[in-house]
Amino acid sequence: MLREHDPERDIVRYSLADRVAHWWVSLTFIYLLLSGLALGYPRMAWLYQILGGGQTVRFLHPWVGVAFTLGIFYMLFAWVRDMTFDPVDREWARSLGTYSKEGHVDLDVGRYNAGQKGYYWFAVLTGVLLLLTGIPIWIPSLLSSGWNQAARIIHHVLFLLTVGGFIIHVYMSTAMFPGTIRGMTTGRVERRWAAFHHPRWFRDRDARGTRLG
Amino acid sequence: MATELGLAVRRKSATPTSSTSIRRDSIEVSKLVDIDLCIGCKACEIACKEWNDLEVEETHNFGGYQSHEDLTPDTWDLMRFNEVDLEDGGIAWLIRKDSCLHCEEPGCLLACPAPGAIVQYENGIVDFDQEKCIGCQYCIAGCPFDIPRFDTETKKVYKCTLCVDRVSNALEPACVKACPTGSIRFGTKEAMQEYGKEKVGKLQDRGFEDALLYDPEGVKGLHMMYVVPRGEMLEEYGLPKDPTVTSKLGFFPAMGALRKLGSGAMWAGLLGSALFFLRTGRRFPPPEEEAVAAARSKGSEAPGERTDAATRHDADDSLDPGSEGDGHA
Repeated sequence: MLREHDPERDIVRYSLADRVAHWWVSLTFIYLLLSGLALGYPRMAWLYQILGGGQTVRFLHPWVGVAFTLGIFYMLFAWVRDMTFDPVDREWARSLGTYSKEGHVDLDVGRYNAGQKGYYWFAVLTGVLLLLTGIPIWIPSLLSSGWNQAARIIHHVLFLLTVGGFIIHVYMSTAMFPGTIRGMTTGRVERRWAAFHHPRWFRDRDARGTRLG
Repeated sequence: MATELGLAVRRKSATPTSSTSIRRDSIEVSKLVDIDLCIGCKACEIACKEWNDLEVEETHNFGGYQSHEDLTPDTWDLMRFNEVDLEDGGIAWLIRKDSCLHCEEPGCLLACPAPGAIVQYENGIVDFDQEKCIGCQYCIAGCPFDIPRFDTETKKVYKCTLCVDRVSNALEPACVKACPTGSIRFGTKEAMQEYGKEKVGKLQDRGFEDALLYDPEGVKGLHMMYVVPRGEMLEEYGLPKDPTVTSKLGFFPAMGALRKLGSGAMWAGLLGSALFFLRTGRRFPPPEEEAVAAARSKGSEAPGERTDAATRHDADDSLDPGSEGDGHA
């Protein structure tokens, strides 16, 4: 698989800025996940040690959370154009059963399928809500202890939802669909991958020139 | 206190392993404040500052006998004064020594995410270990009595230790020693309860019908109890009527359930993905020619079959003979 970028077979999918934003969000998310596990699950308190100790974790978790949400905001504004739902998405959503069983549905999918769009909106929504519920946990003097406790419960529920989404996202983009993660590392995907998973987007890029992101 | 002082430990915060304590002879201790005997002299405040070597804070007059407006990281013991007009035209002058009540079921300890930062000894004393404190202040939200105070400089939380360092050396707490009227008492929990019940009976005989021993069930009892002459005025004293560690939005049961659900779901997610992979493996696209041909044929389907404009627009593009991508220059 060691080869240089081949313009005959590759299409640009993500710009450098897009990729930086993606890995910015993923690395901050992984830190938040590990430190959150230490803070929320006493049996995972050993994670404090590899993250620099409890006080460091308590100090960094909120700031990394802010950095994470900034990345989410970049994605919101940079990618929203491609994330609005269209009639094909409705069909795709109806064939979700087939998709999960066979890993494919034969629809004229654009740059993103309905699942990807759904995950995008899920990430934006949970990202913003995690920051909002995180602020009173960060600065407890802002609200009464009842609200602080409510914030902790909601923050925890959101955490679990995002971990679920994260596991599915990582699984699908690495183990399940070969050639997918390339889009986020090199910024380019193979024509074969694009034509199969995103036929409408493939035709568009094929027509307008593959250098476009 | 940073050390465990040779005392048997019943439980520690964020430590799910079982208690190490196997001693049978541990005696539970308790303070008791007989409010009837309190004259509001504040000797206990001074003794607390002196013994614990806490910084003296400048005070100012804000219209009453009270020295400080509130507990602080440096003030663990505070005489609270409250004047209440009575219906018969008289006045009730309520004085209460406010400091940690050392709950048998401590909300602070249950809320704390830092292993060992809050310790409950077998003798009932609840103590903070600032060395292990991470400064999250969950204990403050978890406390039904609003006791712990956060120090913005050290980023740690402080409160009364019940002079655990004195108690472990067979001395009574500093406030008890300093009290000139015997209002603050110290002994075994049992002896203090006995004293309290007897005193409540005497107060009732004297006409304080609502007198009570403040040792609420909701926190499974206290290791600093009050004899309250005017039991009908608990809230005016600043004492919650029915404090419990679970009453706050059902917080602790909810967190416990979430943790169980969460760890189950996370393991299920990981193992489920692994199983799914073993069952279905990787999903390769068909060979390039086939995939590209299929994508192009989707674009050239008869108009009308696809209704959305974007699809038709793309279809037009792909039919344009000059539109073959030329890749990178």
